[in-house]
Amino acid sequence: MLTLARSGRRSLAGSLSAPSSPRNELTQQLADQLAAITPGGYHPGAPAAAEPTAWATMALIHTGNLAAAEKGCRWLADVQARDGSVGVSRSQPSPAWTTGLAVLAWVRWNAAAGERRYDDRISRALEWALATRGRTAEQKPQIGHDTTLVGWSWATKTHSWLEPTAIFVRALCEAGMADHPRTREGIRLLVDRLLPTGGANYGNTRVLQQWLLPHVQPSGLAMWALAGCGVDDERIALSLNYLNEQLNEPLAPASLAYACLGLAAHAVTPPSARPALAEAAGKQATQESTYKLALVTLALGSEDATETAEPKGVST
Amino acid sequence: MPEPFIDRRTALATAGLTAAGLVAAPYVRGGAGGPSPVFVAKGQRYDGDLVKTLRDGLEATGFVGESFRGKRVLLKPNLVEPCRERPHMTTHPAVVIAAAEVFRGWGASVTVGEAPGHVRDTEQALMDSGVGEALADAGLPFADLNYEEVAWRRNRGRVSPLRGIYFPRSILEADLVVSMPKMKTHHWVGVTCGMKNLYGTLPGIAYGWPKNVLHHNGIPQTVADITATLPRVAVIVDGIHCMEGDGPILGTMKPMGLLAVGADVPAVDATIARIMGLDPAKVEYLALARRRLGEIDDARIVQRGEAWQPLTDPFHILDEPHLQKLIAVT
Repeated sequence: MLTLARSGRRSLAGSLSAPSSPRNELTQQLADQLAAITPGGYHPGAPAAAEPTAWATMALIHTGNLAAAEKGCRWLADVQARDGSVGVSRSQPSPAWTTGLAVLAWVRWNAAAGERRYDDRISRALEWALATRGRTAEQKPQIGHDTTLVGWSWATKTHSWLEPTAIFVRALCEAGMADHPRTREGIRLLVDRLLPTGGANYGNTRVLQQWLLPHVQPSGLAMWALAGCGVDDERIALSLNYLNEQLNEPLAPASLAYACLGLAAHAVTPPSARPALAEAAGKQATQESTYKLALVTLALGSEDATETAEPKGVST
Repeated sequence: MPEPFIDRRTALATAGLTAAGLVAAPYVRGGAGGPSPVFVAKGQRYDGDLVKTLRDGLEATGFVGESFRGKRVLLKPNLVEPCRERPHMTTHPAVVIAAAEVFRGWGASVTVGEAPGHVRDTEQALMDSGVGEALADAGLPFADLNYEEVAWRRNRGRVSPLRGIYFPRSILEADLVVSMPKMKTHHWVGVTCGMKNLYGTLPGIAYGWPKNVLHHNGIPQTVADITATLPRVAVIVDGIHCMEGDGPILGTMKPMGLLAVGADVPAVDATIARIMGLDPAKVEYLALARRRLGEIDDARIVQRGEAWQPLTDPFHILDEPHLQKLIAVT
């Protein structure tokens, strides 16, 4: 059984509650709507799933709605398997890349409530996470990234990929295990998968001598995960610049939210972020989806917290 | 010669269900054992009368319009990793809308569905491909296959080690799934068309982004398995603006002006491969499909519309041994 530290070592945007102010009235209003559809799914009327429920729980904690957030925590605990994993939904115990998101929800709830109610859940989930390894492969000239690094995969017995590794790295850091060798190797993997001009593809960097295209969601998640990890690499600033530039392009609510979460985690709050998030929040499709509403609410809350703390622009 | 990948029982079952264009039965006229019809139209443009071309193509390959009344048709375009600067990567919205109009005109209920293989934000994929706006204008519903409820089905191909395959609800509830690929080269398997596009019927929530479970079980093998396991499939190929070189993502645009249609997916794919200058018998998943899932031998395919030979215009193939060996020897 793992022994958990009383709190994570980081207090970053996305894990803090902002003081109430007119600025975050919209965030609170969205949180009230979110409370009504948590636990919930990816799309309106869809069955509850672990990822939307975990993000919703984090958003509700962030906005101080602990009672509503506990519904999410309990649902995640209810679907946790005996081996500690949390599958993508109640009917699909595998794959369980969502386990890291459940850890984040429980860790944040414990911290916000000042309780240790979910310690056992967290401990079992982390044991499972640390026993789970993405497959490695010998380096081949056709593939540009380091295939020998161990991170986390989407599904069992497959290669490590950027997004699940980002989720588990962040979960381990917030659970007080930032110095664990698996966390450090996960961080190396995330940095290895960044593109030389900034941003990240869904996971590959170069295939058959061609650099792949960056995308907003994996770039945002990677930046969110790497914040506070002590990474000294020019691709961090380049990736933040990439995300900042993408805010001027048409973005769907989820991608927009991931971009803002990634930027806010590095205390970067571009002026265009808040209006874009507010517009995304106003869409019916966002309001009816637990997943999208959770991400947008959390991103807005992160903007509130970061702006209150220390507004910054992008620098390279 | 013994079949190296398929046991006798599975081979019999698969042959009985899917040989020679029966995959789309009962919506297709014609019987088992005969040549498979493939329709190819040239001189097509995205602003042209695509509805007429596709209706003609479907009828020419045996589709019976009146049999679709009250049926559910799912159109599955290729939106693998949309990028506004590379519209030739993804199925053009005009082709999707035209196909929908044909099936709607026949009384079918049409849904467009896709599980983008690389991009987890499906709404972003719809925006970047232009398909989302087109669907909204046409009043067509979209099924996000990456995140739907799933159900497990026994792997009827049994070419890969997978015992079964998870499919999203919309795929299993459809009376006909129409694979709507872009005509492209593929840097691992040579060509991506109707069969390979069916990877996008599988949910990312179960298989990941990319669907790495399939890669680890063999791309050609799992392509064959998915085709064998899906109940009823047809194909409409967007070959108007194509991709050559480093497909399926980073290749360059090659204008061909083609549309291809058929109920026998391997037969359509084999015809497209020939037009691209590739030998379908050397494309591993087509070789696996041969005679089990459909026809790939030219002698067993009957061309409707244009003959493929005058349309042949070899696509640039990356200078990699595993790809160069696929080039047809003339």
